[in-house]
Parts: sequence; structure tokens; C-alpha cells
Amino acid sequence: MIAFICILLTIAVYVLSKCVYKRMRFALLSPLLIAPCILSLMLVGVHIDYSDYDKGGRWLSNLLQPAVVGFAVPLYKFRKVMKKYAKIIAISMSTGVFIAILSSGVFSHIVHLNDSYLLSLLPRSITTPIAMAVSVDIGGMPTMTAIFVIVTGITGLILGPAIIRSMHIQEKLAKGLLLGMGAHGAGTSKALEFGSEEGAAASLAMVLAAIITLVFAPILTPLILL
Amino acid sequence: MSKALRIITQVLFLYLFALLGNFLVKQLHLPISGSILGLFIVLGLLHFKVLKLSMVELGASFLTSEMLLFFIPSAVAIIQYKTEILQHGSQFLIVILLSTVTVMAVTGLVAQFALRRLANKKGEIGQ
Repeated sequence: MIAFICILLTIAVYVLSKCVYKRMRFALLSPLLIAPCILSLMLVGVHIDYSDYDKGGRWLSNLLQPAVVGFAVPLYKFRKVMKKYAKIIAISMSTGVFIAILSSGVFSHIVHLNDSYLLSLLPRSITTPIAMAVSVDIGGMPTMTAIFVIVTGITGLILGPAIIRSMHIQEKLAKGLLLGMGAHGAGTSKALEFGSEEGAAASLAMVLAAIITLVFAPILTPLILL
Repeated sequence: MSKALRIITQVLFLYLFALLGNFLVKQLHLPISGSILGLFIVLGLLHFKVLKLSMVELGASFLTSEMLLFFIPSAVAIIQYKTEILQHGSQFLIVILLSTVTVMAVTGLVAQFALRRLANKKGEIGQ
């Protein structure tokens, strides 16, 4: 019963925060930032444990899986464009993954985080299940990695459009790649708001980032720990 | 069939591919996630015309456009990590903010630079 209520409540808060966001068009009001804040306050307010909330929440999280499968559709529609620019996509994504892992490591060093937090931060820019797997592989804490992945998604969702504007990124492909690379599925959903070609590029970026990270992370990790 | 019903059937259909992906990943000990394998399976089936776009398009566009909803429970999960957040929250945030900005800017600029160079080359050939 409580699971069912939690699902309904999450959907209601999501729909409401989406309405507010549509009206105000203010990046910090993104439903992915506002809705979890409201729900967390509610849970704490009425003393519901996260584990109880998640009995319902899990059903919604599970829908991420068919959603990822669903990215096959924009990819299929724009397969010719993606094929045409395969080389550029490969170069941009390899650079992106390299910078993602390296910069997470360097900035963690700068703010004096210990190694186990640092390692958990390295795979944060890719989709959750693979990020967690990489985290285990390189000696991080997968549950912390899952948190860093979601915070990265929120950050990228909010800052992505501002970066696109301030860097004068005009090409649709470039916009999509940076959103999918920087903020996995959350960025990809933002890219779909820009347009379907941006969405297709972001879907591809999300998938490639995950696969490239899987290969690169274990190789780069020893260098970062030096 | 009403639109809502078609969306629901297509979502379930896509879910089957995610489950198939999960199953194969487990059986074959693949390092990728089941849903990404599922994506490739659907892409392959669309490519070889086994699936028609109309069989998955509505469900897929519903799922991808409401994707943020499915992230919300994992974002709420942060409340379980009060001690870590209180102790290191600002450090985490600094790393994630700076690194995400760097990654996005570099990826976007590299892609844009490469695209423009390609366009220029083509332009020269055309002249």
C-alpha cells in the first residue's frame, strides 16, 4: 500500500514541478532538482524511511531500463548522420571520457578527498549501472558512485544549456554529444528538448561514453592515483 | 487502439528487450548493462526490418521524454547519506560541478572544431 502511495506521490510531485518549470523556464527549477527536494522533505517530515519509499520508487527507477532501450529510436532515425560523422564522434567521445576521468581525479585531489571517494567519483559521468560496475572494478564504492552519477545528471542538465550558449556551440551534433557525454541520460533528455537530431547524438554519446569508460577507467586509474 | 493503450503496450514491449538484455548479459558475462544491449538489439531489429518503427516509436518517445521521472527515486536516495554529505558534500559538489563543466565544454568544442574543419575541407574541394 505504502509503495503504491509513494509511486503516486512521486508522479504527482514530478508533474507539478514540471508545470512550474514550464512556466518559469528557470534552469534551477529543473524537475530533477525540485522534485527530489520536495519528496525528501516530505519523507523526513512524515518519518518514512528511504527503504520504504523505494519499495515504490524502485518501480519508477526500473522504467529507466526500457527508456534506455527506447533511445534506439532516435539513433535509428538519424543513423545516416551518425555514420557520416562516425570519426568525429569517436574523437569527441574519446576526448570526453578521458577528460571526465582525469578531471574528476584532479579536482578530487585538489579538494583533498580520500582515495575511496576519488575512485567512486571517476566513473560519475556515465549511466548508473555501468558506472557502478566500473566503480567496483577500480575499487570505489558503488553506492556513492550512484549518488555522484545522479548529482552529475542534475548538474549537467542545469549547466549544459548555459555552456552551449557561452561557448557558442552551434552544431546540433556537438550540442548533443556534449549533453550525452557530460550528463548521461539526464543530459540526453535535455538534448531531446533541443531537437531530435541533438537527441540522437546525445543517445549515441551516452552509450559510447559508457562503453569507452568501461575500457579506459581501469587503465587511467593507476595514473590518477600516482 | 487508444493512444494510451498503445503507449503502455509499447513500453512493456521495450521492457522485454531490457529483460532480454539483462538475461544475455548475465548468461554471457558481458561487461555492459542489459539495457544498453537491449538498445543494440532493438537497433539491429529495426535495421533488418524485423521491427517496424511504428511498433516502438510511441512508447520510446514517451519513456525518453519523461525520463527525468525515473531518475527521481535515485535522487531521493541521497537522504540516506547524511553523514557523508555533511562531511564532504561541498567537496563532492565542487568536483562534480567543475568536472562536468570541463567535460561538456571540451567535448562540445572538440566536436565543433572537427565539424567545422570537415565543412571547410568540403568547401575547398567544392571550389
